[in-house]
Amino acid sequence: MEKRLTLATAAALLAVIGLLPVLAMVASSFHISGSFSLKAYQALLASSQQYALLLGRSVLLSFLTSALATVVGVPLGVLVGKSDLPWRGAFAVLFTVPLLIPPYLIAVAWGAIVGKGGWISQAFPSATSDLLSAAFFGLPGCTVVLFTAFMPLVMLLTTTYVGVVNPRWEDAGRLVSRWPHVLRRITLPLITPAILFAAVLVFLLAFGEVGVPTYLRYPVYPLEILTQFAAFYDFGAATAAAIPMLLVTLAILALEYRLLHNPILELRAVMPGATRRQIALGHWRFAVFGTVLGWALLTVVLPLAVLLIQSASPSAYIEAFSRASGSIVRSLAFAVIGATALTLLGFCCGYLIHSRALPLWRSVDALALFLFTLPGIVIGIGLVSLWNTPMTNAIYGSPAILILGYLAQYTVLPMRITSASLDSIPRSLEHAAQLGGASWFMSLNYILLPLAKRGLIAAWLISYVFCLRDIGISMTVYPPGSDTLPVRILTLMANGAPSLIAALCVILIVVTLLPLGVVSFWLRHSARQS
Amino acid sequence: MSMIEFRAVSKVYTGRRVIDALSLEIKAGERVVLFGPSGCGKSTVLHLITGLVTPESGDILINDELVAAGGRILREPEQRGIGMVFQDLALWPHMTVSENIEFGLRARKIPDEERQKRVRDVVDLVGLGDYLNVRPGELSGGQQQRVALARALALAPRIVLMDEPLSSLDEALKIQIRKEILRLQCQLGFTLVYVTHNRDEAKQLGTRTMHLRNGRIDSALNMDHTA
Repeated sequence: MEKRLTLATAAALLAVIGLLPVLAMVASSFHISGSFSLKAYQALLASSQQYALLLGRSVLLSFLTSALATVVGVPLGVLVGKSDLPWRGAFAVLFTVPLLIPPYLIAVAWGAIVGKGGWISQAFPSATSDLLSAAFFGLPGCTVVLFTAFMPLVMLLTTTYVGVVNPRWEDAGRLVSRWPHVLRRITLPLITPAILFAAVLVFLLAFGEVGVPTYLRYPVYPLEILTQFAAFYDFGAATAAAIPMLLVTLAILALEYRLLHNPILELRAVMPGATRRQIALGHWRFAVFGTVLGWALLTVVLPLAVLLIQSASPSAYIEAFSRASGSIVRSLAFAVIGATALTLLGFCCGYLIHSRALPLWRSVDALALFLFTLPGIVIGIGLVSLWNTPMTNAIYGSPAILILGYLAQYTVLPMRITSASLDSIPRSLEHAAQLGGASWFMSLNYILLPLAKRGLIAAWLISYVFCLRDIGISMTVYPPGSDTLPVRILTLMANGAPSLIAALCVILIVVTLLPLGVVSFWLRHSARQS
Repeated sequence: MSMIEFRAVSKVYTGRRVIDALSLEIKAGERVVLFGPSGCGKSTVLHLITGLVTPESGDILINDELVAAGGRILREPEQRGIGMVFQDLALWPHMTVSENIEFGLRARKIPDEERQKRVRDVVDLVGLGDYLNVRPGELSGGQQQRVALARALALAPRIVLMDEPLSSLDEALKIQIRKEILRLQCQLGFTLVYVTHNRDEAKQLGTRTMHLRNGRIDSALNMDHTA
């Protein structure tokens, strides 16, 4: 009983925190001054050509980002997950770094290279550098930056799923053909659902992105919503404009579900005793290694190095701390509180998915995924619709609104990690505790939590990173005087010196990656000792 | 003529010596059953023969040709002319029966017409019937077994390896499939290496049984019956 009650409460909490704001937003788009009205939609239709153009740009940007990320991420995922490529573990970590930081930091770094007055302009004739700069501040630049930021998702999902394909299926293929044929006809078709899921995820994340298009001055649909809301204070127009984004997200998720809900393609657990085979790259090994290394240096190391070089003066950091110390502290505090709340809610929802203890487990899973793929700005508008009332101003006017936003958008991350961790623990362990007379909380405390400890730490860390890098929700709902570091950097970009912006970017990268590094080191150290 | 030969082959998994300086010789057309308790290295021997696993030391010869030596693979699995029936059958769930069987023929770029003919021949040979366009998941256990056999035989291999392929079937079906295997081996003349921990199966199928213990041959026995 206590188990079902706790899980039902967690499911209800997710619905209240995540779904209610979306419903409130839809409802408020039909209300103006307390009565039913279609004026917001009439205004939307009146400017439909402009909105259609922006929506088209958003779709094109997302499509290009997703296509590029898939084309590069899948082979990279196979190389990292299945081949004997040297340093593949290090490559996996390196390529993941851009995913962990706000994408516009990469845009800032590339801006210093190809922008006006950047490194390229000093080394090449002005015609070449002007051409590059013009391309960078537009669709090509946005695509390249977002591709670098989101490609790791495709790579990581490919790496994970090539690891769970039954090795015997590949063995059977290897007896009669070479690896490329086996990959093309057996492995990749089997993990097609995962690849398509990753592509859809990248599409939706790029679709909702505001930071990069803002910096690269490429007008896209979410920016228009933000402009209506923050610049024109036209909340009705902002909510009405958010509805098409909501519909596009729902349509793409529905399409993805329809395409991929195919039991034939569902992966089976690996047979006990089956050993995974590595693809031997043979005499291609060092050529492939050189290519991947070059790619990593160009897309990850170079942008990070540029930021470091550009900020390499004590005065830049002194100014950065003097102008943004409050934002740094707030960002850290919100990320720690947000990650802790996310881990708690994610654990309960993850347990529900794992145990299927309530019939609505599938709805909880779908809702959490839907909220994650919804653009942050849409969730932000939803939070404003629901909580910006005299009665709830205590929440709306405080940082609690940010935490609610994080819970709404990112619960799926700790939920899926928890569920995967719990799946690896034999059910019999919990059953044995139950038979021994332990309550559910006791089983959790003494059996499941200690065994799922590493998964929970990973869930907290991932939640921390995503709270810290958030820009869509934070920009929309941060209370006056409570801006976060990513928001602060974005606002300072208009008139801040490049060295100051670079220093702030480096600080944000360090506070994001440092806990990850420390905890991974500690986990490895403790694993080695045990 | 020896079809498979191991010369002091060793294999180590995570610090444990699974195969320990194993030497053996299997003649062309022989039916050898590897028999022994779980974890004694039977399946590893099969994987060493296929080339899916690299030995730490020792030489492996197939048809008198060196295919692995000095801890290196000299002939890739697809170049060894081996068919295999896996313990879990390893039928590709996203392909039809026909696609499963013709996979290897496609990989060798055999023309369409010839490929179709060989698929039909091998399907008739194993008595699979009219199930070419269904997926393996829609077939019964016995039918899946026949698909796995057909796939293993499609390229007319010189050697067929079977890794406890009947373990998931009921007793009646086991007896029937064993008879089929014997019939096919006599008809086609391939060298059969069969892994089992079932003593009756070993007696019925092998012209020779090898008892493995701790990665070495504990005893070898020539059976006095013929198929």
